[in-house]
Amino acid sequence: MEDGTGPDLRATLERRRALAQWVAREIMPHEPRIRAWFVKRRIAHDVIDELVQDAYCRVVMLDTVDHIECAHAYFFSICRNLLARRLKRQQIAPFDAISEIESYRDTGTPTPEEQVATRMASERVRALLAKLPERCRRIVELRKIEGWSQREIADHLGITEKAVEKQVWVGVRAIRSGWDAIEREPEAAGDSRRVV
Amino acid sequence: MAAEWVARMDSGSWTEADEAALQTWLAADPRRQGLLLQTQAAWMLPDALREQEAAEVPAPANDTGGKWMRRGVLGGMIAASAAAIITVRGGLSRDADFVTRVGEIRRVPLDDGSIMTINSGSELKVSLSRRAREIQLLQGEAWFDVAKDAERPFIVASGPVRAKAVGTAFSVRKRDDGVEVLVTEGVVETWSDQDSSRRLTVTAGERAVIKEWALVHYREGDTPPVDRALAWRNGMIDLNGTTLREAADEFNRYNQRQIVIADPGLASEQFDGLFKLDDPEGFAETLKVTLPVAINTSDPHTIRVERSNESILVK
Repeated sequence: MEDGTGPDLRATLERRRALAQWVAREIMPHEPRIRAWFVKRRIAHDVIDELVQDAYCRVVMLDTVDHIECAHAYFFSICRNLLARRLKRQQIAPFDAISEIESYRDTGTPTPEEQVATRMASERVRALLAKLPERCRRIVELRKIEGWSQREIADHLGITEKAVEKQVWVGVRAIRSGWDAIEREPEAAGDSRRVV
Repeated sequence: MAAEWVARMDSGSWTEADEAALQTWLAADPRRQGLLLQTQAAWMLPDALREQEAAEVPAPANDTGGKWMRRGVLGGMIAASAAAIITVRGGLSRDADFVTRVGEIRRVPLDDGSIMTINSGSELKVSLSRRAREIQLLQGEAWFDVAKDAERPFIVASGPVRAKAVGTAFSVRKRDDGVEVLVTEGVVETWSDQDSSRRLTVTAGERAVIKEWALVHYREGDTPPVDRALAWRNGMIDLNGTTLREAADEFNRYNQRQIVIADPGLASEQFDGLFKLDDPEGFAETLKVTLPVAINTSDPHTIRVERSNESILVK
């Protein structure tokens, strides 16, 4: 960090960054598969979005993630529990549906999809980045692939740091919303049923 | 809004004032904590994936004995395969490069980066050349996760039937009355050599059955979902309105101990459920709950499903 960032603040930022990194590594590549599981069970997309977001809230509350052996299975079970609770509260879901969701056992054996999750996720990220507007894509690539700082990019392109930050912001938004929407795109619906 | 915070934190000039403003924003809605984490993680996704890809060492694929992994160990980090080099088993079929016995499911990485998951009782031949990648399915079933390579089409042949993919995931099963192609990702083109002018394009979630003189294309929703039919890759059998006869056939495919339906009147009863494919005894036990049956396990080679004399009271 730069000047003006005190030690406490630096620690806060570092903690936040480390958790996000753990999520990016252990959970996010598996998110499309987890979402697809809910899509198959006819759960509406906006409900899935909420479940996933609530599950991330739970993750933020954790004091430590060191004890979690299989992060994506853990995350998946949080999502399932949140859904079961929600369905019970609404009292409109058939009992079978709730009990299926509650009794679903993650067998612990990675499926072939899980084993290739990293590779599939990389292809998806590349596709998302390729769709960015030219200028934004260039800046995101310099930042993410070349590892330049926002300031270096600003100097190189002869624009303000604020302008770079703005493009980074667009890039961040594109990856995140693209990731949420993956299971809604037909070509990525590897194993999902679509509910229209 | 969360994306703005993430871009700002990424800038390298985060101040106490920024942090205070962020805390105010977070406090306004408890869900924002999760949203911020999700958004920041999305931004780190490209780096995280690149690191992981770099860490994954491609499997040594020149030793046919060593790369075979048994189910159970198949949990399968590729690195484990090097340590698991066991013996090259004798008694393989002359023509086949890969053979699985009854009850055995193997995951085999190929030189080109593709991965085959071979089901119980199957035989395959693999030939990878500079121009083409050809797999012959002599017996049984396998699921292929195909590495993209537009220069070298990936073709699975079973008898006269061909299924061609560029970069996709699909399974091919040789049945008594035809060859079944199930696509889990991407697009597969399939045809029979007997009439290569008639071709089917099968996309994700669909299946095709190619019989001697007929090509049948099932769209999504026509038949049970493709991933259910592929539950075997995970060591499971997924029954979905399946008759007892078909369910018994499925279990018998994986187990030496065969399920025998002693009373033909029971054969058309239907079932739902997810079962471990190596546990026919467990499956038989659950039958007792829904059907008036008794399970006779006195013979170690069979599990006989018989009609029970006790009547089941309907409550």
